[in-house]
Amino acid sequence: MIPATLRVTLIVAMICYFVIILYFLKQKALNLKYTLLWLVAGLVMGILIIVPELLVIIIRIFGIQDNMNGLFIFAIGFIIMILLSLTSIASRQNRKIRTLTQELAILDKRVRELEHEMGK
Amino acid sequence: MKQEQRVLVIIPAYNEAENIVNVVKHMMETAPQYDYLVINDGSTDDTCDLCRRENFHYLDLTINMGIGGAVQAGYVYARKYDYDIAVQVDGDGQHDIAYLDRLLEPIVSGDADVVIGSRFLEKEGFQSTLSRRMGINILSGLIWLVSGRHIMDVTSGYRAVNKMFIKIYSEDYPMDYPEPEAIVAAIMHLGRVREVPVRMRAREGGTSSITFRKSIYYMIKVTLAILICRMGYGIRRGKRVDV
Repeated sequence: MIPATLRVTLIVAMICYFVIILYFLKQKALNLKYTLLWLVAGLVMGILIIVPELLVIIIRIFGIQDNMNGLFIFAIGFIIMILLSLTSIASRQNRKIRTLTQELAILDKRVRELEHEMGK
Repeated sequence: MKQEQRVLVIIPAYNEAENIVNVVKHMMETAPQYDYLVINDGSTDDTCDLCRRENFHYLDLTINMGIGGAVQAGYVYARKYDYDIAVQVDGDGQHDIAYLDRLLEPIVSGDADVVIGSRFLEKEGFQSTLSRRMGINILSGLIWLVSGRHIMDVTSGYRAVNKMFIKIYSEDYPMDYPEPEAIVAAIMHLGRVREVPVRMRAREGGTSSITFRKSIYYMIKVTLAILICRMGYGIRRGKRVDV
């Protein structure tokens, strides 16, 4: 079992986590689309802290020895998922920037030609 | 009808201020019947100023995107203005414009979809260094393994494509070091890829984009890119695209 004081610490940490994310969302500093994974991760972690019996069952299934280890593994798993999604977002944006740059260059040429035709 | 095919020569240039004027002027003298388009890939030297001063046809990419993004911009342009054939020629003067017609011939006659100018077929002209030839041979073997086609000069950036591949490449062209990967993509789209012998020169000025230190990274990146590109098409190959 997770010691009671540690559980209190973790619950306080979880509350801070949600307050910060919701604050950023409210400020529109975060896009909800890209924050969903953070919220889901927090929710799962929160449930596991509040209901440690569930944590015990799950980590037995995976063969993890220690409760805290189980919690860490879940946290690391979520972090890897979030990083992967960030890399995928960066790649997609890279593609969009490329298309924009190419279209911009083609438009730029068209504008130059039109200015030339107008005799500027 | 076949004589009326519109040809666009794409000349990507990144920091090629030393060469670009010579290359384009040579192009305009040797093959004035074809349109050309210089693509300034966010150069930090005065490549762009030179193009403006000389009144060349050029695209000015505001961000440096690497050779892949620059060449793709040319294909997007070719598609937008409905060209029938697009030819890539490096902006550093390595590729001899005199061989342009040799590259175009199989496409104009409808015998090939993608034509690659190869310096190894007749082993004439600049043959590159031994270590680079080894690297090219390894990649060539890898492409043969994944696609069953023998292409000798897989890194040659001197190539011509027909309308079908203007469309395919304008939608999806590999980034970073695109040449070998683009061949795999062409074969996977059931394109008829052909090599014709050309003579290449050593660079006239400036420095090559691939330094010795980068060559290890180059080999790893390109090998992975070829394998992933091949995987993307699965066992069944892609379909020919009608244009």
